[in-house]
Amino acid sequence: MNQQLLAKTFVELADNLVADFDLIDFLRLLTDRCVGMLGAGAAGVLLADRDGKLRVMAASDEQVRLLELFQLQNDEGPCLECFRTGAPVIVPDLTREVDRWPRFVTAAHRSGFGAVQALPMRLRDEVVGALNLFRATPGPFDPAATLIAQALADVATISLLQQRTTHRSSVLNEQLQTALNSRVLIEQAKGKLAERQNIDMEQAFTALRGYARSHNRRLVDVARAFINGSEPLAGLGT
Amino acid sequence: MARVRPDSRSDRIQVLVAEQAARRGARAGVVDVCAAAVAALPVGGAGLSAMSRTAASHPLCSTDDISAQLEELQLTLGEGPCVDAFVRGSAVLTPDLLTSELQEHWAVFADAALEAGARAVFALPLQMGAIIPGVLDLYADVPTVLDAEQLADALAFADLATLLLLDTRIVETGTTGGGTAPERGFEDLGAYRAEIDQASGILTVQLGVGIEEAFVRLRAHAYVQGLRLADVAADVVAHRLRLSPDAGPDRTDEET
Repeated sequence: MNQQLLAKTFVELADNLVADFDLIDFLRLLTDRCVGMLGAGAAGVLLADRDGKLRVMAASDEQVRLLELFQLQNDEGPCLECFRTGAPVIVPDLTREVDRWPRFVTAAHRSGFGAVQALPMRLRDEVVGALNLFRATPGPFDPAATLIAQALADVATISLLQQRTTHRSSVLNEQLQTALNSRVLIEQAKGKLAERQNIDMEQAFTALRGYARSHNRRLVDVARAFINGSEPLAGLGT
Repeated sequence: MARVRPDSRSDRIQVLVAEQAARRGARAGVVDVCAAAVAALPVGGAGLSAMSRTAASHPLCSTDDISAQLEELQLTLGEGPCVDAFVRGSAVLTPDLLTSELQEHWAVFADAALEAGARAVFALPLQMGAIIPGVLDLYADVPTVLDAEQLADALAFADLATLLLLDTRIVETGTTGGGTAPERGFEDLGAYRAEIDQASGILTVQLGVGIEEAFVRLRAHAYVQGLRLADVAADVVAHRLRLSPDAGPDRTDEET
């Protein structure tokens, strides 16, 4: 494992504790690093909305986003179980779990995944979501990598929940509402940019995020300005 | 007597609003959201204004005189929680207008609102990403803090008002051609469909319109064709369907 990248990731995640918080960018960083650093084939994050329903908030690629959606629609799978129990669910070989999650196992196989682990995002009694790591080949997960993934999930959760205390008279409900809305905003901006530049959604996201980073701005602010056409954004074709 | 208990907050809120509409004997509209919110929350009144960055904002409805005054005041003065909620895109919760910092922040509005009879004011943007067609304002005549449940309900009322308000635009544009009225409420967003928002973004370019108009056109197309919004959105994202500014839709898979 790349120790330098690991240290950098924790610093980046912790940066969000002090800097302007950009949840979507933050969760995407979390999933990307789980892939780049921990040997996961793909990663996704689910967070609960105000009804306690889970929503896909970030995914390292489109395959895993669809698979996460599939779990939510069919109401079965390791990520949901992890969220409900608040405990990690580790499945080294999905083919052995056909009875447990018949539909999920089939869908995961179709997406090319053979193993999954779901780690709770929780602080004391409060479970707010789950971090899910997928891998193509079955086999045991490296316990050291699992520990690091859980640590990343914990830092992410603390970062998420501390938003509550820094904003006057707001509660987690409202934070998640804002987060969900940020997600909508970014998807709208992705669509506009993808159509304008004839690129796919993933490339559009990378371009928007790249612009936000290089100009030291929040992704949601860039997305809003781009959608509203309220200012020139060089390189995004405005 | 067992009564069906809707399992989600948005379902429950939809029922409350539908009951208000039934009482009026009309289709559910934003006025019913205001009435239902007043009945469900510890507030004295509610008002709703249509907001726009490019056109004039205007009050749409209010449940009582004080609410009506609050809407007028904010749009006239260009300041107040409603204006802030619109600009910031987040809820503005003011449990007590009699705090000095607020008096400074809204120099004219704070006093005028107190004069009108309001003490606590809550402004909730009607919001879907960059689409903010209006703001729902609630007031109470005593200092009031909304607890987590009440705030979640208030946000759900605002969500429903967003769609109802956008629906009226579909009817206004006559896109439904007098055909079937838009179905009510949300499609199940438990599985949030990113495609709907991506498709709205795509249509801003294809149609050369703003994001709100793009979303309204997307929904209108689904209604006219009798299709699910999520399916139409998926077609747009996959480039199986293009909408053009003047003519009807082109199905690209039929052209080839």
